[in-house]
Amino acid sequence: MSWSPGWVRGHWTALFRTVALCLLGMAVLFPIYWMLVIAITPTGFSRSLPSIFPQTVTWQNFTSLFADRPMARWLVNSIVVATLASFLSLVFGTSCGYVLSKLKFRGAGLIMIGVLVTQMMPGTSIIVPLYILFRDVGLLDTMSGMVVGHISLVIPIAIWMSKGFFDRVPPDLEASARIDGCTRLGAYFHVSLPLALPGLAAIFIYGFVTSWHDFLFAHSLVHSQQLWTAANGITSFRGQYFTLHELQMAAALVFALPVIIVFVVMQRWIVSGAMTGSVR
Amino acid sequence: MAKADARSGQRQTFRRSVHRNLTEGGGFIFLMLLPALLVVGAVIGVPMLRALEMSFNSIDFRRPAMAGTYGFHNYVRLFEDPDSWSAVILSAIYMFGTVVGSVALALSAALLTRRIVRFRAFWRVTFLLPWTVPAVVAALVWGVMYDGNFGIINRLLDHVPFVTGANWLINRETAFPALIVAQVWNEFPVAFIFILAGLHAIPEELYEAARIDRARAFQQFWHITLPQLRFILAVVVVLLMIMGFKSFPIIYILTGGGPAGATETLTVLTYNTAFRGLDFSYAATLGILAVIVSIILVLGYLRLVARLQDERGGQ
Repeated sequence: MSWSPGWVRGHWTALFRTVALCLLGMAVLFPIYWMLVIAITPTGFSRSLPSIFPQTVTWQNFTSLFADRPMARWLVNSIVVATLASFLSLVFGTSCGYVLSKLKFRGAGLIMIGVLVTQMMPGTSIIVPLYILFRDVGLLDTMSGMVVGHISLVIPIAIWMSKGFFDRVPPDLEASARIDGCTRLGAYFHVSLPLALPGLAAIFIYGFVTSWHDFLFAHSLVHSQQLWTAANGITSFRGQYFTLHELQMAAALVFALPVIIVFVVMQRWIVSGAMTGSVR
Repeated sequence: MAKADARSGQRQTFRRSVHRNLTEGGGFIFLMLLPALLVVGAVIGVPMLRALEMSFNSIDFRRPAMAGTYGFHNYVRLFEDPDSWSAVILSAIYMFGTVVGSVALALSAALLTRRIVRFRAFWRVTFLLPWTVPAVVAALVWGVMYDGNFGIINRLLDHVPFVTGANWLINRETAFPALIVAQVWNEFPVAFIFILAGLHAIPEELYEAARIDRARAFQQFWHITLPQLRFILAVVVVLLMIMGFKSFPIIYILTGGGPAGATETLTVLTYNTAFRGLDFSYAATLGILAVIVSIILVLGYLRLVARLQDERGGQ
């Protein structure tokens, strides 16, 4: 082991990197840690916590969530809506993205821009006309209305992302499939879709999280408590005069758990999906 | 007999050409586009047009008799209203602040985790975690942490000499930056994913060549990493610009636009005008303004990117 300047410098950089990484990680994790601390504090005591370490630990907030409130019901609603919305967006969005990527036709650029513009309208300014529209067609206060609403939030990104994925599929592969007698549709199903699969996983996750987290549509388009999604349920702990922080944070953690599991299991896919979509 | 044959032959060619059209030609394009465009058009397009119509109308629940009076009055009011201009400026600052903050944080996190071998999945998930927290909940957590009397941030600052805490969300000067911090924490993972993916796509040979040339870490970053990330950064910035401009729950829950309008961005002003002021027509006008401003900002940014690429010789 030699104490050459290069060796010393290399180790100092490595040490600096590790320390910086740990500090950054701690700063980023702190709010989530604090959610956990509040969630295990007895109801009403979270405002006067004496230290950053939990003093008393109770699981009561979690149990009362399921015993006193329809949290289980809300979670089931969220799972149904998010799964349907992200799956349908995936099917519709990728077929749209495929056509925009592989076939030359007039108006393709216009469709891409138009789809992007719909994403720029702040939700708060379309919610009133959307409410009127849903009331007129009978989608107000229904699960299917919620699914349709969430599809419209996810599809534009699905189109843009999947176009990126299909752009990366070499045209030769499809050409040779078509010489072998495949139709366009056949080439889409048998060649391009399988090759874009990791990217499709990323779109599905993105759609699932967007729908899972949506508050504005969930809050405005559904009134009946038994139809609420969990995002809406969580805010119900925020009263007009006082807020049950402990219950709310417990609910938030329960609510985040499925997404965290999806992330842990699929983190490799998320990164590679984002990569195939946008690196050229 | 021959006639019947010809007719069935014709029918067959017709059927075949329809089949061909649907699996190969224009019909195929149409069918593949239809469902997606139908949903987006119905759920966002139609309400957008409806909002456009409302913006020329006078639907104000405090003056119901005015409904049906069409004209440009809402747009005249838009130009005369100081609140709308300050809201546009606040939205732009908010967007700028969250984009810069998110990109800086995501880039540092991605650069630090890139070459990590041990606990790789752990670090990745760590920096993705804030994204699992919905904006509504992020707002509530930060609200608890920012609290002037009991908040943990002030309690921790008590231990730091020469620094005193503040009533973060109530002071005019601190409220807006405090919101930006909360928003950056919540949304930077989106940028993190894209930037990390972009880093992994940079060919390792480029760095090996640089190491042989004894290039310092910063030089490597400036001459290899940044240029290679150019395209992905452009995409990320557009995504973050739209997210920042549209951001609603964090601002609305933490300050509701206060203190005294200091954080009333365009989205919050729109919501307050509609659901507190009950002036739906003026709210629709503000929504139209939001679309126009964000289109200008995004297109302007894309032009800037294109010009920068031209100057660098393109790629």
